[in-house]
Amino acid sequence: MTLQDLALYGVLPLLTLAVLLAVFRLGRGPDLPDRVLALDLIATLIMGMMAVYAIATNSPVLLDLVIILALLSFMGTVAFARYIAKRT
Amino acid sequence: MQESISGLLMVIGAVFMFLAAVGIVRQPDVYLRMSSTSKATTLGIGSMLLAAAFYFGEFSITARAVAAIAFIMVSAPVSSHVLGSAAYFSGAPLWEGTLTDELRGHYDLRTQELESVSFPELDVHLPDIEVRKFRLPETSSLVNRTLADIDLRRKYDITLLAIRRGQNVISNPGGDMLIMGGDELVIMGSPDRLKEVRNALHRARQAAAHTKDQTSL
Repeated sequence: MTLQDLALYGVLPLLTLAVLLAVFRLGRGPDLPDRVLALDLIATLIMGMMAVYAIATNSPVLLDLVIILALLSFMGTVAFARYIAKRT
Repeated sequence: MQESISGLLMVIGAVFMFLAAVGIVRQPDVYLRMSSTSKATTLGIGSMLLAAAFYFGEFSITARAVAAIAFIMVSAPVSSHVLGSAAYFSGAPLWEGTLTDELRGHYDLRTQELESVSFPELDVHLPDIEVRKFRLPETSSLVNRTLADIDLRRKYDITLLAIRRGQNVISNPGGDMLIMGGDELVIMGSPDRLKEVRNALHRARQAAAHTKDQTSL
């Protein structure tokens, strides 16, 4: 089994399953902080998928997107947290 | 060799991230969920990026991967701390099996001010009674009335232990004691009663800010 096979058929399905679990928490809640946490986790999982996909398709340019997504999800989480704190 | 290291790191990262997702579903409250996701994702994404760095083995790509890892290592604790404190202030419930909440009673949830009025022995021996300190606004209708006139014990079912006025502490004040604006009242009572008092004071403060007239407390 090559590394590409491991990435495509082993790691990516596991991460997809993880995203589904996070989506379950996103829908279930019960509070806004839980949903924000789930969104943060989904963004991190997608970052992991991008890194794996970069290996699988031999395209290192995807690693730049990982950095951008890390920045965006951090800003998004902080903005949501400010909103939650202000709302009360 | 590089490929097998890369594959191993990738699998480790995937397992960590999957455990984070299991944690966010299985853990009972938002704080425990946060503890499992923030740790597991930091390690997970870290080893994924290291796997990519090993796989490509070029300096420019390794530098990018290391930069991304450094950024995530710095930002993940910050974002989970910000989110955790926001969740605490918004009153997200704690798991019923939680043993201690050391912030309880120390934070004014509305103004987000930390106070250090602490009576740990009282908490242990009389769990249903709290002692808290409240600052009376200048505009309060209690100002310039005597304690006998206000009758906190009957109206609110609370006991006034002491008054702090500037540098002076007046302990066990008598009925003819006159309340002044800016006094800090140390009050003992059940948590529910104290919450009522806090809400009444908060309403009074807001009303004073809006209309400048005097209200209930």
